[in-house]
Order: sequence, then structure tokens, then C-alpha cells
Amino acid sequence: MSAAAKNIATEPQAQPGPFDGWLRGTGDDIDAVAGGLSWLARERTDALARVRGQGAPTAKTEGWRYTGLRSLIEQDFRPVDEPLTAVVADDLEDVLVPGLDAHRIVLVNGRYAPELCVTDDLPKGVRVGGLRETLAQDPDALEDLLTRIAGEGSHVFASLNTAGMDDGLVMLLERGAVVERPIEVIHLSVGMDEPRVAQPRHLVRLGDGAQAELIERYVSLGESLYCTNSVLEIALGRDAILKHRRLQSESPNAFHITGLYLRQGENSRYHGVNIGLGGAWARTDLIMRFAGEHAECDLVGLYLAGDKQLIDYHMDVRHALPNCSSRETFKGIVHGKGKAVFDGLVYVAQDAQKTDAAMSNRNLILSDSAEVDTKPQLEIYADDVKCSHGTTVGQIEPEMLFYLRSRGISAPIARRMLCLGFAGEIIDALGNQALQDYVAEQVGQRLEQAPI
Amino acid sequence: MLSVKGLKANVGEKEILQGLDLEVGPGEVHAIMGPNGSGKSTFAHVLSGREGYEVTDGSVTFDGADLLELEPEERARIGLFLAFQYPVELPGVNNTYFLKAALNAIRKSRGEEELDAVSFMRLMKERLKILHLDDSLLKRPVNFGFSGGEKKRNEIFQMAMLEPKLAILDETDSGLDIDALRIVADGVNALRSPERSMLVVTHYQRLLDYIQPDYVHVLAKGRIIRSGGKELALELEEKGYGWIVGEEAA
Ligand SMILES: Nc1ncnc2c1ncn2[C@@H]1O[C@H](COP(=O)(O)OP(=O)(O)OP(=O)(O)O)[C@@H](O)[C@H]1O
Ligand SMILES: [Mg+2]
Repeated sequence: MSAAAKNIATEPQAQPGPFDGWLRGTGDDIDAVAGGLSWLARERTDALARVRGQGAPTAKTEGWRYTGLRSLIEQDFRPVDEPLTAVVADDLEDVLVPGLDAHRIVLVNGRYAPELCVTDDLPKGVRVGGLRETLAQDPDALEDLLTRIAGEGSHVFASLNTAGMDDGLVMLLERGAVVERPIEVIHLSVGMDEPRVAQPRHLVRLGDGAQAELIERYVSLGESLYCTNSVLEIALGRDAILKHRRLQSESPNAFHITGLYLRQGENSRYHGVNIGLGGAWARTDLIMRFAGEHAECDLVGLYLAGDKQLIDYHMDVRHALPNCSSRETFKGIVHGKGKAVFDGLVYVAQDAQKTDAAMSNRNLILSDSAEVDTKPQLEIYADDVKCSHGTTVGQIEPEMLFYLRSRGISAPIARRMLCLGFAGEIIDALGNQALQDYVAEQVGQRLEQAPI
Repeated sequence: MLSVKGLKANVGEKEILQGLDLEVGPGEVHAIMGPNGSGKSTFAHVLSGREGYEVTDGSVTFDGADLLELEPEERARIGLFLAFQYPVELPGVNNTYFLKAALNAIRKSRGEEELDAVSFMRLMKERLKILHLDDSLLKRPVNFGFSGGEKKRNEIFQMAMLEPKLAILDETDSGLDIDALRIVADGVNALRSPERSMLVVTHYQRLLDYIQPDYVHVLAKGRIIRSGGKELALELEEKGYGWIVGEEAA
């Protein structure tokens, strides 16, 4: 941890903070972006104060023990400033999922890019747009949603995002709206002349009984170096169903931070599959809250970390109400000098009787220099609950490898098959053939090329 | 076809194979019998290239190649096949996908064209019949949750698909009830041909009633101590191993 960061932690506001650069110019701009909305301006001013006060987490900060921030801070990112108009539809070709039939929304460096979107066929009752334009045209639609789901957020990056947000995706489904085809959101990042950070703020709301499948993909053009610090707020109304697939496969030099804040209404279902393939440094926080009973939250995930990669998933599921269920099923494959962190916290409050919570994290380590830090945590204060957790860290069984090789299959392919076999149930959970094939191929390729 | 001369192999400090000689000609079926722990599986593993065994002496040539120099997959590609005593479960690895990868890897190494999906399925259906296997097994992960008998049949099914020149069957009959045994034995017999040799490791004469061997060998303490025709197996069934092992020691 840098000296500057330490100073900040002990002496708030005395020194320039490590992330001041991320917000350069934001102070003057707050009212402008807040579109004259006093509630938003207040949130952002408060967030700015928190950033100044909090500084960067250190190795002693809860939730950051295994995830060093030095490489992130050293980059000294500046905010993305110019809108990128240079990206054209053809540039997307390389990052598309073959055969994926979906409505398409594109953001470039955190900015909503309507000219690249294909949303003509969206059914009625679905509204999609950029945050900036929505704030300008119909700010009332965001009230009680934007910043209200995340609150202060779980760490400084959420505050940074609130203070620095300047665009993002807004997707609002009216009560009863059902979108049959998946909605794909491509978060495309393009490197700039110097290290830039984008801080997009996304809002998704499904009204009562609404249903949708959302496929978010974080991708890059080329091997560019940049940082994305995004916050995604999701509110599910009563009986709403959201299938959410998040696929992060970015440039080997990318830094990625996502805070996903979910608020689930009664009897709603959230089914999320997170696939983390990289980037240099990626941290995802999934913060799930139940606002009604009988809701189900299913978090599935797969991460693959290799040389010079850190992938960190933090989960924070809080059962404050009875009769809800949550599942965390994460698997990881770590190879080379890769590092992965899994921290799953499930908190069951005293009143949350009949909670059904299960957490599992299984890891496959392919090399001696790979590292996995896994920390499942169940905090249970209710007495009539069904809760379980388990974690494993293992290696490829030599007998399995030999069995495949004895059938003529080369060692690298055999390893790939075994890893994909291990990851298979997670990939299957994507539930969309084109996406499954794409992910299996990406995972397979990375494994085959991976130094063991 | 296969020529083993003075083969010695260790596991750790322990010498398990202690100078093993064996000659197998094309199309021949050799049975290897012997007490528990005598080194039969070790021999099979050393032939197929499993890690963890150190060959300290001797040589193995297979079809002109120095077998011990080759990686396990290379041995498979030149026509060696081991039906495991304990087939390994591969969770998440689809049986069909696995077999296709194996067959095509072998074909490719022989300069043959890879089979497309349709011809592969056709071949698979045809070979499944030989083993009376249900094709639902093909959709499942390799050996995963298979019954003991299904695992053994799946081994022979793989052999039927991969068409090796030399198949080593390590106790493929053990643990099979009499019906399953007959199916496996019929499968093996269907695969007998003048170009395909077999090494059949077994404890039981019953298998050899179905698969009539050309030669029977007794392996004890890491060496072949007696060889004969199929009548030797009958004698062993009757008298056990004690008398030969005793004679040898004397
Ligand atoms: N990995 C190992 N580590 C230590 N000892 C081993 C290992 N593998 C085999 N052995 C020993 O080598 C000897 C021969 O074992 P092997 O499995 O080859 O016998 P086998 O003839 O196949 O017996 P069975 O009829 O019971 O299958 C035994 O004493 C066994 O304990
Ligand atoms: Mg054995």
C-alpha cells in the first residue's frame, strides 16, 4: 500500500487521495450532470466527501485482505473525457457471440452509444436509454431508484462511481412486461492515449411480474489499458424474474470493478451467472438484498485466472426477511501465476426464519504458483433455517489425465477437457446455447494456451 | 508385435517387475494370471505409460517402436489400448465428445481424415450393439455414475471404437455377473482379428472359457514364471498358484 493511501486513512482530507484523479473536474460538474436534481446533487456531493474521507482500502480493510490495490493506484487513471464517436458497427464484429439472437445495447467506454444499438424490436413496456439522456429528459423516472438501491455502497469504489458517474444504461420494464429474446449489453472499452477510467452507472428495473434475460458482456478492442469502475443497480418488483448473465472477458491489461446492487421484491427470482475470464485485475461485488418474502436469488459463477491476472468475487447476501432462498455456486480455475479470491458472505438475521441458503466454492489449481483465497462465511442468527456451505481447492487428478491420454488425447487437450468438465455445470447454467458454446470456447482456448 | 525383455520397474523404492519377458505375435491372445499383488496391473500400466513407475532395466518394443520412449497418448496412437481394472470417472466430460476426440486424435496421427459427426454417430451406434450398451450412456459423463458392469462394458466399447493393435484387458471380467461377463466376452471375441493381439489379465478360468487364449502365463513376484497353452489355466483353476510359485522358489 502506498504511503499516500495510508495518510489518507489516518488523516482524512489532509493529503490528495489516491483516487482524486478519477474525479478530476467532477466537483464543478456535479450540478450539471445531476440535471439540476437536488436529490442527485446531494448524493453525489456526499459521495465525494466519502471518497475524500475514506481513501483507499488497505490490506487491513475488511474485504481487501487478498486483493492488493497497488497496481490499480499506480496507473493514476484520469476520467474518460471525450465521447468516442470513432467506433463503428464493424468494430463490433470481432467481439460478437456467434449465433446469439438478442436485442443489442452498446456502451463505449461507459457511454451509451445509441448508434450501435439494435433495439427496434423491443416489446412495448420496455424502455432503454442512456443515463445522461434520461436524467436530462425524464429524471423523475429515476427517482427512488438511482443511488437508492446501492445506498452508500460497500466500499470507496461505489462512492467514486456515485461522485463520478456521467453516463450508463437505463433499462426500465413496466409492470408485466415480458421480453422474450435476451437483451445483450455490450460494454466495449477502447484504450486511449493515456490510462483512463470510465465510471458508468447502470440502472435496471423490472416492474411487478416483468421478465427478462439480460446478457452483459465486458469486452475490449485490442489489448488496451483502462479501468472500468461500474455500479449496477437492479430493482426487481414483486414476482419479477430476471436472468442475468455477466461475462467479463477483457484485454489482458484491463482493470475492472463492478458493484452490483440488487433489491428483490416479494416472490421475485434473480438468476445470475457470472463468468470472469479477465483482465489484469478484476473485482466484482454482488450485494443482494431482499425487500419481500419468498424471493429467490441464485448466484452462479466461474472464474479463470492465469498469469498476471487477479479475479476477485465478493458476495454479500443478506436475509433480513423470512422465507427467501439464496444460492452461491462458484467455481474457479487458476493457472500459471494467476490469483483468485472468493468471498461469499451470507447473513441471516434473527427474523429471517425459513431461510434456505447454500454456498459452494470449488477451485481447481493447475500450477504450484497459482493462488486461491476462498472465504465462505455464513452468519446465522435465526434458528429455523436450512443453510450449508462448502469450499474445496484441488488439482486435476493424475488418474483422470492419464485415462484421457491413454486414449490418444494429448495432455493439453486432456487438461482442457477436464477443466471444461469441471466448469461444465456453470457454463450450462447460462442456458443459452450460443453463449454456452462461446464461453466454453473462450475458456478452452485460454486453458490450452496457458502455461501450466 | 510386442516384445518385452527383462523388464524391471519400481514404484518408489519397491521393485515390482523383476525381469519380465513376454513375446506376443500378431493376432495372438495371451492370458496373464497370477496372485494378487504380483504385478499384473503394474505391467499393464508400464506398457501404457502411466506416471509413477520407474523402469530400471529391460526393453519393450511394440510394432518396431521403443514403447518406453513414448508418451501415453503416442502409445495409444500407434495402437495400444488398456482396458482399466478400475475405469476412472470423469465428471463433466461427455462420453461422446471424449470418444470423438480420442478417435480423431488417433486417426489424425495416422494421417487419416477426422470423422465428421454423422459418420462418427453411425460408427458409434454400430459398435454399441456389439456391447449391448444403451446409447443413453453416451450422453453421460465418462463412467460417471456408471455401474461396475457398465464401466467395464464401456471400456470394451472404447476398444471397439479405437480399434487397437494390442489390447490389454486388466481384469475386465472381475465383478461382472455371468450375463455381463458373456456380453463383455462376446464383445471381445467380436473384436478378435488376425491383426489384433490381446493381453487378457484375469483371475478366472470362466472368462477364458469364452475368450480362448492361445497362451497362458503365470506372473508371480514380477516375473513370468510359467507359460503354457490354455490347459494351464485349467490346471491353475484346480490347483491354485501355490504349486508353481513353490516349484519356482525351490
Ligand atoms: N502406486 C503404488 N504405490 C505403492 N505400491 C504399489 C503401487 N502400485 C502398485 N503397488 C504395489 O505393487 C504390487 C503389485 O501391484 P499390482 O496392482 O500390479 O498387482 P496385481 O497383480 O495387478 O494385483 P491384483 O490381482 O490384486 O489386481 C503390489 O504389492 C502393490 O501394493
Ligand atoms: Mg491388478
